[in-house]
Amino acid sequence: MGRYVLRRVLQGILTLFLVIFLLHLLTTFAIQLNGNPALAFFGDRVPTQAQLSAVSARFGLDDPCYNQLGNPCFGPFVNRLKDYLSGDFGTNLRGREITSIVATAAPNSFRLFLVVTATWLVVGMFLGSTAARRRGKVVDHGIRGFSVMIDALPVFVMLLVYRYVITVPVYTWAKKQFGSDSFIALLFKPSFDSDHPMITVIIPGILLGLAGSAAFIRLVRAAQLENYNSDHVRAARSKGLSERHVRVFHIVRNSSIPVATAVGIVFTEALAGAVITEGVMNIYGMGGLLWNAVRDSDVSLIIGIVTLLAIVTIVVMILVDLLYAALDPRIRYE
Amino acid sequence: MSDQTVQVLITEEQNPEEGRGGGSIWGDAFRTLRRRPEVIIAALVALFFLVVALFPKLFTSQDPQHCDIADSGIPPQGFGGAHPFGTDITGCDMLAGVVYGARPSLLLAFIVVGLSVLIGVTLGTLAGFYLGWVDTIISRAVEVFLVIPLLLAALLLLSLFHGAETSGVLGSILQPALVLTLFGWMGYTRYVRANVLETKNLDYVVAARVLGASDLRIMVRHVLPNAIGTVTALVPTAIAGVIGTEAVLAFLGIGVRPPAVSWGILISNGSERFAAGSQYLLLFPLGCLVLTVLAFVILGDALRDALDPKLK
Amino acid sequence: MTDLVVEFSTADGVVRAVDGLTYSVDAGRTLAIVGESGSGKSVSSLAVMGLLQSPPARIAGGSIRFNGTELLTMSRKQHRAYCGEHIGMVFQDALAALNPVYTVGWQLTEALRARHGFSRRQARTRAIELLDMVKVPAARQRVSEYPHQFSGGMRQRVMIAMALAMDPEVLIADEPTTALDVTVQAQIMTLLAEIQAERQMGLILITHDLGVVATVADQVTVMYAGRAVEQAPVLEAYGSPAHPYTKALLQSIPRLDRKGGELEVIPGRPPDLLAVPAGCPFHPRCERAEDVCRTGAPPPVVELPGGRSAACHFAQEVMTDA
Repeated sequence: MGRYVLRRVLQGILTLFLVIFLLHLLTTFAIQLNGNPALAFFGDRVPTQAQLSAVSARFGLDDPCYNQLGNPCFGPFVNRLKDYLSGDFGTNLRGREITSIVATAAPNSFRLFLVVTATWLVVGMFLGSTAARRRGKVVDHGIRGFSVMIDALPVFVMLLVYRYVITVPVYTWAKKQFGSDSFIALLFKPSFDSDHPMITVIIPGILLGLAGSAAFIRLVRAAQLENYNSDHVRAARSKGLSERHVRVFHIVRNSSIPVATAVGIVFTEALAGAVITEGVMNIYGMGGLLWNAVRDSDVSLIIGIVTLLAIVTIVVMILVDLLYAALDPRIRYE
Repeated sequence: MSDQTVQVLITEEQNPEEGRGGGSIWGDAFRTLRRRPEVIIAALVALFFLVVALFPKLFTSQDPQHCDIADSGIPPQGFGGAHPFGTDITGCDMLAGVVYGARPSLLLAFIVVGLSVLIGVTLGTLAGFYLGWVDTIISRAVEVFLVIPLLLAALLLLSLFHGAETSGVLGSILQPALVLTLFGWMGYTRYVRANVLETKNLDYVVAARVLGASDLRIMVRHVLPNAIGTVTALVPTAIAGVIGTEAVLAFLGIGVRPPAVSWGILISNGSERFAAGSQYLLLFPLGCLVLTVLAFVILGDALRDALDPKLK
Repeated sequence: MTDLVVEFSTADGVVRAVDGLTYSVDAGRTLAIVGESGSGKSVSSLAVMGLLQSPPARIAGGSIRFNGTELLTMSRKQHRAYCGEHIGMVFQDALAALNPVYTVGWQLTEALRARHGFSRRQARTRAIELLDMVKVPAARQRVSEYPHQFSGGMRQRVMIAMALAMDPEVLIADEPTTALDVTVQAQIMTLLAEIQAERQMGLILITHDLGVVATVADQVTVMYAGRAVEQAPVLEAYGSPAHPYTKALLQSIPRLDRKGGELEVIPGRPPDLLAVPAGCPFHPRCERAEDVCRTGAPPPVVELPGGRSAACHFAQEVMTDA
């Protein structure tokens, strides 16, 4: 077990290194093709050469390799790695430390993901298990139709409809009925409220969680069906155990293994969804920062946040692998 | 059946007149599909929007770029009037916008998915077939690319290209197409690799090898046809995904860009005007997007079923 | 068990997997059920335990009694609980039948903890006891290992121990040795026979291996197409089979003492249960089939001397032929 953990962590670090290198290569080529992103600092104004080079230097874009198409810019990459290792992820266009911006925004993203995870578990597990148990019945078909409908409504569309079509009338009504600080009014508030960070992320979180739960429903159903027909479940039943006991200890427990492996993939999708959710709903989280950074063309902030999110993803993937090993003794004793 | 269904779609895209005819070649596919009415409806909806994208002139005589500010903000008039879906704030005809907006959205989706499948199938086959260092490199690359979600990569790279000049429909979708493809091939690679690993030790493949068939021939003739089935089931769902992503990118101003029109751009414009009482400006393009995505998702679901009947 | 009928509804129609099967087993005795795959021998045992998936399976008739208690009128829940107490079952493929995510000890005593309120410590002691009983070496250590760490033969021993955990009065072993090496097969059979003798259990041994039957069974039931075609004490059945199918089966066993002779095979294939031939289901493959075998109802079961019976129009003749 110890060796397995160590191996996974080392692999994760290698992947992280490669991811950072990939991001570096892609941005480098984009800059070489497209010109200095420091220009965005000046907006519509045309800077003097001196101003431009000063700003370029501040963002580490003054290396001549950025003018040579095809040069992988190893020099700036090494510098950037050193910066990352010392916890320096650069500054945004206005000169604020990205790490300090992210520190204030991350808790809100965390709140959002709390709701998202709860939705996955409740909706995905519950509907997936129900569909498996009632395979081929009306309920099964209904749940399947539901998951197809979810797939057909991208998070983006769901949120737009929610924000523009649903919240406005409901919020106005709730404000009139219960007052603007009441729970119901806040719940349906069309945009994030930093005074009530938890209440105002509940519904966006549920919508985002729903989007990912379609995959969960299918996965849980498939994994449980495989177990329903397996020999070990039949053997467990032959011991005279109650159906409920068999379901909990043999079907749900065993099907949690393939479901756990999928969490990593669903998580990266949810990360992308979080950017959209936080952007559309004005939630001040990491995704919301990224969304606004894109609107302001704040490239330095974009690179910093994408890198940080990549680190988070890798950590989650390592955790998923450890969870996998904890769930499946066959992996542990390899 | 699954392969045929998608081929039906692809052929329909190229020759819509033939696709509808349901000639003898497609007879089998149609007979199988007839059992599931929702699949037929979905296929018809997808087909309809493909025709719209290919021949916008059939559906509107207006030019979406030709806007008369004097006609600004006309509400929908129904199909008798000059502007059946009304006009937007600058007087552009909404029907024309929705009709012409179909092309970039769908073209982008087909290009991205087509290229991703091509790359994914090639790399997956090589990795599964040769294993060793080829597999190490490809699998490692898949892992690295998977860490960065498609949308994040698109936001990063397209922001860097923000200032670049573009022209024409193809030019305006080239950047998003490249970026989305760059981060869209991994899923197919994984599936194909796993499938090739399974297939390559089957007796008939081993037999072909013993008989001295070349690697290329074994891959193309024996291993690939098996893997294609799995990949095919992913295609319609992936198309639906790209259509949705395009809308997000356009909303942020880094996807298909004006003056070109796409559903994403219309949705972005419409949402700004929504509160001002012009709900239809958001709802028409949004409705088209949802219908198309729904159609492709249902097709994908049916294909997945056909390929993995034990889960039914 | 009397006149059991089990039907499966499939996409192509209703299949009668077991058709009027009757058998019984007494404490301390071994009944072997022999037949080709698809003859309904496993299905009938699953019906006893209440383990058939329904739908598609349906018990269409008959009765199963245990010590005078009718099982089929019970609710499924009662049925399973009752069988868990009184009947143990050993499955064919121990690797698949043991849950890979729990330790062997956990699985051995799962029912004891869930239903009899054993504490962890009691359960562990009992698990070690059970492993000792089936002669797994180093039981004290192995009790906390996982199934994948056991060899095939050891896993099958664990499987047997699991079936014995509740001290059942009857043990059903469904092809317990098919998935094993020949040498290990013999060990497992010996073990089963020993345990059965020691505890005076009833043992129902389901198999297609007639060699196994000869050494351990007292009574044999030969099944074909969902019916018992012959029931007899083992020695009699082997010495003078009363049904042509039994006879053919016996002739198809390779024998060391008849060197160089050609192995006999039963011509044709097991019948498609969707289209069982009219008359005697075995007639297309039977060497002595006559017109009476080809039409009408299947031949009735004929009682023969010595507590035997056979479903053949020519049972007497077949018996004396041999």
